[in-house]
Formats: sequence, structure tokens, C-alpha cells
Amino acid sequence: MKTMKVTFQVNSDKVTLQVKPYETLLETLRERLALTGAKEACGMGSCGACTVVVDGIPMRSCLVLTPEVNGAVITTVEGLKQDDRLHPLQEAFMEKGAVQCGFCTSGMIMTAKALLDRNKKPTKKEIITTISSNICRCTGYKKIVEAVEAAAKRT
Amino acid sequence: MKDDLNIVGKRVVRSDSLAKVTGQARYTADLKFPNMLVAKVLRSPYPHAKIVRIDLKRALKVPGVKAAISGFDGYGIKWGVFRYTQDHAMLHTDKVRYIGEDVAAVAAVDEETAMEALSYIKVDYEPLPAVYDPIESMKDGAPQIHSEYKNNINIHIHIDVGEVDRAMGKAFLVREDTFKAAGEAYAMMEPYAVVASYVNGYLDLWMPNAGPHVRAKALSNMLKLPLNKVRIRHINSGGAFGGRSEVAPGDLVASLLSIKAGRPVKLVLSREENATSSRQVHDMIATVKTGMKKDGTIVAKDFKVIYDGGAYSSTGPIATSIPFYVYEECYRFPNVRYNGYRVFTNKGIRGMYGCHGRAFLAGNEAQMDIMAKQLGMDPVEVRLKNGLRSGEMTATKSKITSCGLKETIIAASEKTNFKKRWAKPSRLKGVGMGCVAIMCGFPMGFRSGSSCYVKINDDGQVTIVTGLVDNGQGNESMVIQVASEVLGVPMGDINLVNADTEVTNLDPGAYSQAAAFVGANAVRVACENARKRIVAIASEKLGVKEAEIGLKDGLAYSIKKPDKKMPISWVVREAFFRGEPIVATGSFFPNIDFEREWVSRPWGQMAGTFSFGTSVAEVNIDSETGKITMPRFTSAHDCGRAINPMAVEGQMEGSIQQAGVAAITEGNLWDKGHLLNPDLLEYKVPLACDMPDMDTIIISSRDPAGPFGAKEGGLTVRMNAYSAVACAVANATGELFSELPLTPDRVMNILERKKGVK
Repeated sequence: MKTMKVTFQVNSDKVTLQVKPYETLLETLRERLALTGAKEACGMGSCGACTVVVDGIPMRSCLVLTPEVNGAVITTVEGLKQDDRLHPLQEAFMEKGAVQCGFCTSGMIMTAKALLDRNKKPTKKEIITTISSNICRCTGYKKIVEAVEAAAKRT
Repeated sequence: MKDDLNIVGKRVVRSDSLAKVTGQARYTADLKFPNMLVAKVLRSPYPHAKIVRIDLKRALKVPGVKAAISGFDGYGIKWGVFRYTQDHAMLHTDKVRYIGEDVAAVAAVDEETAMEALSYIKVDYEPLPAVYDPIESMKDGAPQIHSEYKNNINIHIHIDVGEVDRAMGKAFLVREDTFKAAGEAYAMMEPYAVVASYVNGYLDLWMPNAGPHVRAKALSNMLKLPLNKVRIRHINSGGAFGGRSEVAPGDLVASLLSIKAGRPVKLVLSREENATSSRQVHDMIATVKTGMKKDGTIVAKDFKVIYDGGAYSSTGPIATSIPFYVYEECYRFPNVRYNGYRVFTNKGIRGMYGCHGRAFLAGNEAQMDIMAKQLGMDPVEVRLKNGLRSGEMTATKSKITSCGLKETIIAASEKTNFKKRWAKPSRLKGVGMGCVAIMCGFPMGFRSGSSCYVKINDDGQVTIVTGLVDNGQGNESMVIQVASEVLGVPMGDINLVNADTEVTNLDPGAYSQAAAFVGANAVRVACENARKRIVAIASEKLGVKEAEIGLKDGLAYSIKKPDKKMPISWVVREAFFRGEPIVATGSFFPNIDFEREWVSRPWGQMAGTFSFGTSVAEVNIDSETGKITMPRFTSAHDCGRAINPMAVEGQMEGSIQQAGVAAITEGNLWDKGHLLNPDLLEYKVPLACDMPDMDTIIISSRDPAGPFGAKEGGLTVRMNAYSAVACAVANATGELFSELPLTPDRVMNILERKKGVK
């Protein structure tokens, strides 16, 4: 099969890969780059568990084809730690009890990160609206909203 | 009871959360092994059909395919939780009974090859007439789904206490209503996945599950392997909610493929397959007849409940009983008759759910409100009057040992100004109250208890080994917290080995709400036994009486003279020198009547204890669209004692989402045997923007047998939140609902019916 050469940055690494033209970014991250933090929960863009940040924009990696990210800078949940220090969102998710089964957590944190990167002081309503792109089945979202509020105060 | 606790009762960060916020926590689909194959399953396109022939030859010739199987490669052993419910072969040779049922499977080097190979499997079917509605299914002449069950009645639970007809005849007020509720989707975020690896006669398996020991037993039976050759390993679970309690067809499929190929096999279901072909929730139709005295005392209850059981028995007798029991564990009624029928239909396999019993519980609660109103009482008064208290027996003879029901009713109603608002609902705004009790564990034979091993390592750190399971609710962190309290060692210095059938002993698992009351209790006992050994040596070395030794922050110290102290690691090393390392075991077996049987002997002590709770929902209805919004939701929960209040709140908030808000959005939709909403676009899991403001109130009744007084935490709300919403809608509309969930179309029907009456 014909493959395509794609170069992009993921977290601190620059990678060049030959990929199938229809390979999704989620598959590339999970199966080829061993970055399994992004999860496949629906495979059709309805739940947000696979969210990663592509050039500052939160994207559902199950709906992005890898050839589309040629030249992009991608951040996944594995790339949030800086010099061994957790990102304020990671700290706040732990401290506020925003994590239960954990399957939506990576996507929630990446969605919230993109929000805080573009809006340092979001209102509670803005946080709720933003994370309504992602499904969590365990928490009722209250502690996730509190965690994002707490992280916003720290960044 | 000692109340100067060091860490139990504190809002601690869960031990599993670091791995989860960094993306390092491993779930089944994340696993990779050398030479691992990918499996895909061919599913039945028919709701009911005879299998004439399955031909795998062409599929096996596809380059890269390493194994292909059908029911003819298995042993034909049928699974069932009870001897009398063994009817599910999981891969069949005779017929298929629902759309999406597993028929054959392949394992190949990659997903594309596996998909291609599936298209070459040839199955000849002879379609049979099918039946989708339990009422139709019970009629004479309906298609017979299993030959051994007449009229497709899988289970009949008959409970008869006192003299129902006589009491009904003497009652001041009698009312009968029928309620219907659609089954829901578990919709756990992690779709079902399994990795099976068969090497040197040992089968290792990883899959999200609620009870590894029962799973291993089922698989060893179906695969004719000795139990010690089937090892279920620990893996994180992306939610369960009751949907992972039983062995899954995919467990068998992946195992057979791995045995055949001699290589590890991974099977990951799609979201749609997870909905159609893993477990589903029972639809139900409940007829509730109640007799009351003039003062609001319930004198008799008469129930007929029909459960749509799907194609196989599953946890049949339990599923057919639980809605009744969680109700009888909450309210006092001297005369009761319950006829529960679980009926086969040509729909997917079914299981228990967090809010199993929706139509039944919501119906009972809403009917009680209406009857109370007729008698000049309100929901608070009628619940306080009929609610069970500590020391009382339920109708089927379970003793209630600790009970904070009254406190939860009062706390929730005062917080919401309930009485005043219920009495005068403003236009299309209402409040509703739901109460329930939950058994903490139930009879599971010798698997009802739990055991724990603990060893104190040479650096003073601790390893605890238990069969306990965490499906995301925080059970692992909970037992580490308990061990930390007993041993005086920080949580970070305690390692947990759990949910692995080879190294752990039996435990009920994350099933029957037993983790806190049973699993954590065994950990407590084991750690107390280890503590005694530590204290004995420290007492000798420090020259302080044993009773005056305290353990905290990894130190043994004199309570009277705290500067007299030594690290626990020194105590441990001394024990090694003596050739008696500090290891201990502990177990806990709840006080349950093991003569009790779901069908044949439905009476006796159901569980070691019961938790209680009250939820209050506030709803607004849009008269134009029928859409309900929920500004606020309040839940009060007697969980005995919250070991980690932050985790208990999280369970309560999640329950408000999954049972409360779900009452207006969630339900499986069917067109005959086709599930119409198997994905997360069509099936409406509540989002952050759908959630009410939530108040959670924890009531501590301090159970005498629970670990530090703890009981189940959270499921109570998962049961009563649904009733609270239904009752609030009845309050707002002044009409009783008949069908759930309360989607806008149904709400409009209620409003129109109301108008019509006027």
C-alpha cells in the first residue's frame, strides 16, 4: 500500500513517519508512538477521550488523519509535565478528586489545557461550556469543574 | 469506638490518580505483547436463527490469519451464575438469539487482515420467528427462545409474607398503578477489551472486570482447564456500573483464539459492539398496589414486575429480586406479595445496573406521595412514618443494624425547604424525594467474604495483598487508607497487590456493594494482626506497655512520652533477626444467612449491613417543549462513615448524573431486535452543561461491624436519584407518570392528559 511521509512534533520529540493515508492521529499516537494516554472510547468524535492539542487547538485525534498534521506541534497528556513538575491541571485534578475510572481524564485535561492557554481566567460557565465537549460517566463533572477553576488560579 | 483517627475520614488524594492524570495508567487496550494478534468477531445479523453451518476455511487461508474459531471449537459448556440458569454457551452451535451475538472470530497479525478474514467466514442460517416484547413473549404460541423455559419465563420470584389480601381489604386507602421503564446503557467510557495469552498450559487474561475470581472460575469451566491454569491479572478498569460483573463472550473468544494460535490475542470492542453485545440493562414493567391506613402507615404491598431479560439467564434470579429488596430494606410493611418474572426476548444479554429497579422504585415512591397527599400528609411525613429504623427486621427477615434513614430524610428536606415547596409547587416547577436502602454484600456462598495478606518490608514499608477490585470508584485507595490508619504508615509507603487470581484470595469484588464493608474490613483485620506483632516488639525495645504504644508516620512511640520512639523499620529488622518476619493475614465474613436462596428460600439475613439515603430533585418544565431542566439536586447519604469524604462525594455526584439526570435523557431505543442508539451521539449521557448544582450531605451512622464504621458509599444515590426526579415531575405536573425516562415527548403527553381532564 502507498504510504505518506509525515513529520510533526509531539511533546518534545520531532518524529518522521511513513503512514497510511487513512491512519488516524489516535492510531499513530497509540500504536506507533506508544503514547496511550489518549483513549479510544467511541471512535466517532462524540466523547472527547482522545483529545490532544494540535497547534493550540483541542482536537479529537480519532477524527484527525495523521497526514493532516504534517508540520504541526502536538501536545498529549504525556507531554504536560515540565522538568518533572506536574502541570497545574494535573495537580488540581488529583487534589480535587476529579479522577475516578480515569478513562476520560486525559481528554478532559487536554481540553481544559487548551482553554487555559487561550483564556487564563475563564468563568465557571466558560469552563462548563468547554468541557461539555467531553463525556465523563463517573464524576458528575462537579469536581472536574472545580479542578479547572483551581488550576486557572495557579497558572 | 476510637475517634481520634489519623487519616480515615480525611479528604486524601486517591492513590491511583497520579498514574491517571499523567496518562500512565494502563487499561486493557493499551497492552502490547510480543507476537500479539488482533481479534475480530463475526456477529449474528438475525435476532433468532438456527445455525446450519459455519465454514472458516476461506478465512483461515487469508495471509496473516493465525486462528479462526466458532462454537464448534469450544466445549459447548453453558455458563450461568446458578446451576439452574446455565444456558449461555457464548459461542453457539445450535442457534443465535439476538442481533450482535458472537458467532465466529479470527485472530490475525493486524486489524485490517482480521476484518478481511471475517468477510470470508460463511455462516448458513435458518431464520426463526423472534419476539421482542416480554408480554408477547409470555403468551402461548410465542417463539420459544430456550426449549427448557415454558412461555419464555426464565425466572419467577415469588415472595409472600403475611396476609396481603386481608390487609388490603381492611386498608383505608388502596391504589394500584403500572409503570414502565426502558433499560439503559452502561456506557462505561472504556469499551470492553480483553487480552488473552496462553503459554505453557497457562492462560493469562486481562480485562476490565468486577470480580476476577468468579471470572476465572467461569472460564476454567468453559475451557475445561483447571482453575489454577486460568489467571486473571490486574488491570485498570474504565468504569463498570454493574456491566462487568459476569464473564463476557469476548473472554471466551479471545481465550480460544489464543489457545489455538499459541500467541497472545487482543480483542477490543467498538462502542457500538459494547452496546449491542456486552451487557445491557433490563427494561421493566412494574404494577404496584399499596394499602395504607388513615394515618399513612403502609399495611400491604402487592407487586407484579416483568423484566425484559434479553436472550439469556445472566444474573437472572438476582436481577429479578434486587428492586424489591432495596425497597423492603428501606420501608416497613408487614404484608407483602412480590411476583417478579424475568422473561426471555430476542435482545442482548443483560445484567445488573447501578439504578436497577427504576420503574419499580420510582413508581412506589411517586404512588406513595399521591396517597400521602390524599391523606393530608407530605412525602417527608410518610417516609418518616414508614421508614425502617435501626434494630428492626425487613419483611423477609433481614435485621437492620445501623440506620441513618431518618437523618438523611431530615437533612435533605431541611436543606431544600422541601415541605413548603412540595406543598405549593409553582407552575411547572416541582420537588421530589426518593429514599432507598442498599445491601452491603449479599449471599455469594463462600465467595461472600474477603481475605487479605500483609507483609511489612525491611524498610518499614508495607505490601497488602487482596482480591479487592477497583472499577474506578476508588476502592484501591480506600484500602490503602485503611491500612495506613491501622499501621501508622503513610499511604505513599503502602503498595497494593490486588485483583489477581493467582496471588490474591477470594473477595466478592466490585460487586454487591461489598468493597468497603467486606474487602476493606479484611484489610483492617490483617493490618491489626500485623500491628499487634509490631507493638509487641516495640514495647519490649522501648520498655513501654503494649497498650501505651502508638504507631504514626512510620514510627512506634510511647503515647505517654512521645520522645520514646523508634522507626517501624527497626522493629521489622528485629523481627527478621528472630526469624519471624512481620506477616499477617486477616479476613472478614459478613453475617449473612447462607440458607437464603433467591428463588427457593427468599428470606433470612440478606447482608451484613445496609446503607441508606435520600435524594431531593428540583425540576422546571418547559410547557412548550416538555423539556425538563434541573436547577438543583440534593442528596444525603448514610454510608456509615466516609473513609475518604471526597471520594464518597464523587460517588454521589456521579450517581446524580447517572441516575438523576439520566431519568430525563437515558434509555435504549429498539426497533424489534435492532438497538437504535448504540453510540454516544444517539445515546444521551449527561454532559457538564446538563448537570444541576449539587449538594451532597454525608451522614455517619457508624456501623458496628463496618471498618471504622463504614458501609457502602454511593450506590444508594444511584438508586434513589431516579425516583427523586420522577417524583419531582409528578409534583410539578400534578399527574402520575406511566413511562420512564421522562423525555420531552412523554412530559408533553402528561401535560396534555392533565389539560384533557380539566
